[in-house]
Amino acid sequence: MSFELAFQQALNGLSFGALLFILASGLSLVFGMMDVVNLAHGAFYMLGAYIALSVVQLTGSFWLAMLAAPLALALLGLVIEPLLLRRLRGRHLDQVLLTIGLSLVIVDLIGQLWGREVRSLSAPPGLDGSVTLIGGVYPVYRLFVIAFGVALAAAMAVIYRRTKIGMLIRAGVEDAEMLGALGINTNRLFASTFATGAALAGLAGVIAAPVFGIQPGMDTDPGLLYSLVVVVVGGLGTLSGAVAGSLLVGPADTFGKVLFQDVALAVIFAIVALVLLLKPTGLLGRIRIAR
Amino acid sequence: MGGFVKNKLAEKRGYTYRLTRRQFLVASSAAALAACTPGAVTPGASSSVAPGKAIKIGQLLPFSGVYAELGNSMRRATELYLKQNDNRLANRPVTLVYADDANVIATGVAATQKFIDQDQVDVMMGVVPTPLAYGIRNAVHAAKLIFIDTNAGGNALTRETTNCTPSCKSPYIFRASFSSYQISYPIGEYLSGKGTKEFFLAYANYGFGTESAADFTTGLKKNGGGTTGNVAPPLGNPDFAPFVTQIKNQPTKNVYSFFSGADAIGFIKSWNSLGLPAAGYKMYGAGFLTEQDVLKEVKDLANGAITSLFWAVELDNPENKKFVADFQKQYPLLPDVFAVQQYDGMRALDEALKALGGDSSDKDKFVKALEDVSFKSPRGDFAFDKATHNPIQDIYIREVKTQGGQTVNTILDKVAKVSDPGK
Repeated sequence: MSFELAFQQALNGLSFGALLFILASGLSLVFGMMDVVNLAHGAFYMLGAYIALSVVQLTGSFWLAMLAAPLALALLGLVIEPLLLRRLRGRHLDQVLLTIGLSLVIVDLIGQLWGREVRSLSAPPGLDGSVTLIGGVYPVYRLFVIAFGVALAAAMAVIYRRTKIGMLIRAGVEDAEMLGALGINTNRLFASTFATGAALAGLAGVIAAPVFGIQPGMDTDPGLLYSLVVVVVGGLGTLSGAVAGSLLVGPADTFGKVLFQDVALAVIFAIVALVLLLKPTGLLGRIRIAR
Repeated sequence: MGGFVKNKLAEKRGYTYRLTRRQFLVASSAAALAACTPGAVTPGASSSVAPGKAIKIGQLLPFSGVYAELGNSMRRATELYLKQNDNRLANRPVTLVYADDANVIATGVAATQKFIDQDQVDVMMGVVPTPLAYGIRNAVHAAKLIFIDTNAGGNALTRETTNCTPSCKSPYIFRASFSSYQISYPIGEYLSGKGTKEFFLAYANYGFGTESAADFTTGLKKNGGGTTGNVAPPLGNPDFAPFVTQIKNQPTKNVYSFFSGADAIGFIKSWNSLGLPAAGYKMYGAGFLTEQDVLKEVKDLANGAITSLFWAVELDNPENKKFVADFQKQYPLLPDVFAVQQYDGMRALDEALKALGGDSSDKDKFVKALEDVSFKSPRGDFAFDKATHNPIQDIYIREVKTQGGQTVNTILDKVAKVSDPGK
């Protein structure tokens, strides 16, 4: 592998990783805070992409879609959490089942509303060109994705560590019951956390659409599959874990698939197996006390 | 059914509901009784004979899962054909039994068994994925059920193979679509014959993709051509940039690819955003790479791509013009190649039944009648190869062009009367 090729593949890997971070951050947040593995996360991601598709068709604006899709998903999250999830709080398996059911319903509704054809979305004007880098031209949109991923991670880190909301989230991750006992309205906190997680999935749906496309089945692959892999590899439920997971999985998957293409499908699972073998809590995971 | 009461012993052991022997007997005998009530089909009753009796067609198609749109399209074609023919095939009314395989092999195999045992269909049609066609081959063959494959293109379904692995032909299996040889070998032979001999391969890494790549390579070798390397992303790969980057960093400018649907869109978009056209690379492929489902999303990004298929919506013949117009009158969209395959499957069945005067009771005569079918299809002349039951058909070499705002496949040339080399 020449230097030029390695450099281009590294960029591919990084931008893929950035997309994975945007995709997985919501799942990680919800899991960390609420102890719920939200298996509807992939369906939320898919719904975000289809809403973006409609918004772009109606208004022609990708940027508007980037606002509308997360907002719509946040609203959906604000309805789902109090209406459904809250009733099952503490019953982890039942919650997981509920989210599977939810994803089936959402995916089927998407099929009814938008049809089951393969769709796609173009990068917005201004980002749809290419720039010359080492070894040839490279799409601007993928560089934008890297920048966006970094900015999102930074913003989340600041909110997490420097704001009152962040403090509440961190406290909630440690011990939600104690937080409730201290007079914090955990119902409201959980609802807004779930809504934020859904909004992040919707955002991922918009940003990933020009790269991953929009099609039936996207809810599981890449949606749920890759976000679960990132979260498990990085460490369950922490922001730094999601960052570490996507930084490892993105490039490793990219290089693995082109170097060992006969076992390309297995590459991603080999990464998971290896990490879990060496570090069962994930790269930056902590040991959680079962509640 | 005898309600399952809470069982004290079981409760003590930690599970609430436990069947006592008596409850089990009550429940199971009730179920057995229910199975005997009228309404359940009596096995062994004579199926089909007389003309005028409805002919029952089992259609196994995906209506959910990733291939749902293919199933929908084939259902539309079925219903269009029936509508054009007063809901009759020959002189018989038609009963359609649809089953959804959801692109899960086990589901499709079970549905086929239901067609055979419970619905007792006269003819079975459909099947999108090749592994499913292979999976039901033995059951269909053993039941002597006439099966007209209207999509799955795996070569082995209409060939003689050692130990019938992974599949093999059957007197009862006909194919109204294509074999992967037919959409891959002729373009290889054609291009190398025209002097374009060296190719790099890019194909989805699953049975059908590898088969297509291998048949294309054989076609190239016929005229002294060959391949210089390959990339093979997994089927349903989300990100194509790494593979297109590999292509860009090797010297062979002509690239033959096998992708369809979402993969094709991802491949073509990456191909352009990474600047391959400007760097002098040229795209070739099996026809699914540039069918309408792909072209309506990528538009002029696919311009210049040369692909081969047995049909194109733009094909200029009276049958196709009528088919496309009728389809658009019935549905608010253009027909696709899957609709053509299904439509021709219905037509072949209709022609065979007409030749038999509507009498489908004798299986051997039915097979013979299907073998003798020939008609003008939207794709051109259609006939089954008597040796394999695969269609003999013209293969069109097409180039993607944008004309008057529409991105279409223009016909460059055709390779006449291609049959599968199976025996």
